[in-house]
Amino acid sequence: MTKQANFWQYNKVVLVFALIALTMPFWFPLMGGYSGLDTKIMIFCIFVVGFDILLGFTGYLSFGHAAFFGIAAYTTGIMLKSFSDNILPAMFVAVLLATLVSVMVGLLTLKRTGIYFSILTLAFAEMFHSMAMAMLQTWTGGENGLTGMPTPMLFDIKMQGASVFYFVTIVAIILFYVAKRIERSPVGLLMKAIKSNQTRLEYTGINARKYKLLAFVISAFYAAVAGALMVVYEPFVGHEFLGWHQSGEVVIMSVIGGVGTLIGPMLGAGFMLYFENVLSVDLGEQWLLVLGAIFMAVVIFMPGGFMEGIARLKKRYFTTVDGE
Amino acid sequence: MAILDIHQVSLSFGGLKALQNVNLKVEKGTTHALIGPNGAGKSTLLNVLTGMLKPDDGSVMFDGKPLLNVNSFDINQLGIAKVFQTPAVFPELTVLQNVTIPVFAARDGSFNLNMFEGRSKQRPLIEFAEQQICELGLENHMHSLASSLSRGDKRRLEMAICLANKPQLLLLDEPTAGMARHETEKTIELLNSMQDGITKVIVEHDMNVVFSLAEKISVLAQGQIIAEGSPDEIKGHPKVIEAYLGEAQV
Repeated sequence: MTKQANFWQYNKVVLVFALIALTMPFWFPLMGGYSGLDTKIMIFCIFVVGFDILLGFTGYLSFGHAAFFGIAAYTTGIMLKSFSDNILPAMFVAVLLATLVSVMVGLLTLKRTGIYFSILTLAFAEMFHSMAMAMLQTWTGGENGLTGMPTPMLFDIKMQGASVFYFVTIVAIILFYVAKRIERSPVGLLMKAIKSNQTRLEYTGINARKYKLLAFVISAFYAAVAGALMVVYEPFVGHEFLGWHQSGEVVIMSVIGGVGTLIGPMLGAGFMLYFENVLSVDLGEQWLLVLGAIFMAVVIFMPGGFMEGIARLKKRYFTTVDGE
Repeated sequence: MAILDIHQVSLSFGGLKALQNVNLKVEKGTTHALIGPNGAGKSTLLNVLTGMLKPDDGSVMFDGKPLLNVNSFDINQLGIAKVFQTPAVFPELTVLQNVTIPVFAARDGSFNLNMFEGRSKQRPLIEFAEQQICELGLENHMHSLASSLSRGDKRRLEMAICLANKPQLLLLDEPTAGMARHETEKTIELLNSMQDGITKVIVEHDMNVVFSLAEKISVLAQGQIIAEGSPDEIKGHPKVIEAYLGEAQV
């Protein structure tokens, strides 16, 4: 195989994703998506890809990732408002701060597994939520949210409309590529081994705790980037950004799409936001009911999510002799 | 030379004295069996060696280094691997991935941030893992999920995992428990054919297995070593018979 062919083979998924994502402004309106929703979908693609490194690889279900999303969003907002309207320093500080917080939260919560871990993460996120609502009200705007940011700038480019979309999409493509690289690295294998048999892993000479913390911090980093981009997309931060509802939404996106596949959760994110914003117009207030039914149907009949459905279809219609 | 030196180790669970002043020396390159009735403390002793349990008293030296208060993964990195009673593998990963893990652990230590290194580009390491798998006769299952293997094959896979980071000491906790006769014989063959130089400590109930493998046997009863010697010495040892069958039948 030539080097080019090798590169293509190796990065097929990322290139296909890049193609679909970058052409989104052309085909997405045709299916009823309003402009701006595509940007939001891309932001959540970043969030869920990172989340999948934790949930999909190590099997640790966090109900508190809104904390990192929200902390980064607030920090970005405050930075834009009081420091400079350039998004790069704002995003840098925001992501750094949220990632540092995640190291602390991870060290404490990863002492427990299963449901105890989930509840601890939820408790931490709720703690940050109530801090934003009360103690830090002067900075966060409390109930009303953080408003009054200037139009975010990327040096001389106004971050509005198409420029936000392409900025976000390029970040999403890079971070998806990074996630793919991690999956193919020894670290990715060891993270998956944590989910499979942690005791065996420890007895095979691997410090599972450090790898769990690494997965937690990476996923928090992704959540933080998504949170910061949310403010670039729309200069507003609401306290819901930190809420349990936000954490839960990411879990649902991941499960619907297919946990552990990286691409699946992004499908889930796209589906859910499309459903929430476009299809719900026809369904009215009942859309949550329909979403609940879809979620249950997926969990019961296709526990591997959309990706399992796709794999089944592939097996049925495209199976060749060597099973490719 | 003793590669493993257990000195005056005691451990209680509440009021139960699981281990009482246990002294045990395992010579390098030998196969040493630990036998004894149920509840004698055999598995407890193995758990002390792997860092899972901390004894109340005593010391354990491995190759001149202390083992107490050392993490399980560091103990493994020092060269001690354990085969569990129920084969412990990574069920959701393929056989090749299962064996790749210890190969990376041997190269990178217990933690390494090589997040962007392509695994498939490490040909020599992957080839070494493949070779280990072939040596244990699993070449036809290279890309099958570990969960799809039979119990006997899972045991082989576990051995391959344990051997892939080249341990000096292999601990085996009842490796033939629940196996059919022919599988037991295969396991004995496998253990006998294992590359030289590896010291083995084996806990086993099946006397047939013990006598076909061990060069030295220690007998534990109620947390104490009551006898020690070659298989022939142990066979007729009055204390051993007493421990297994009770006084009345001596």
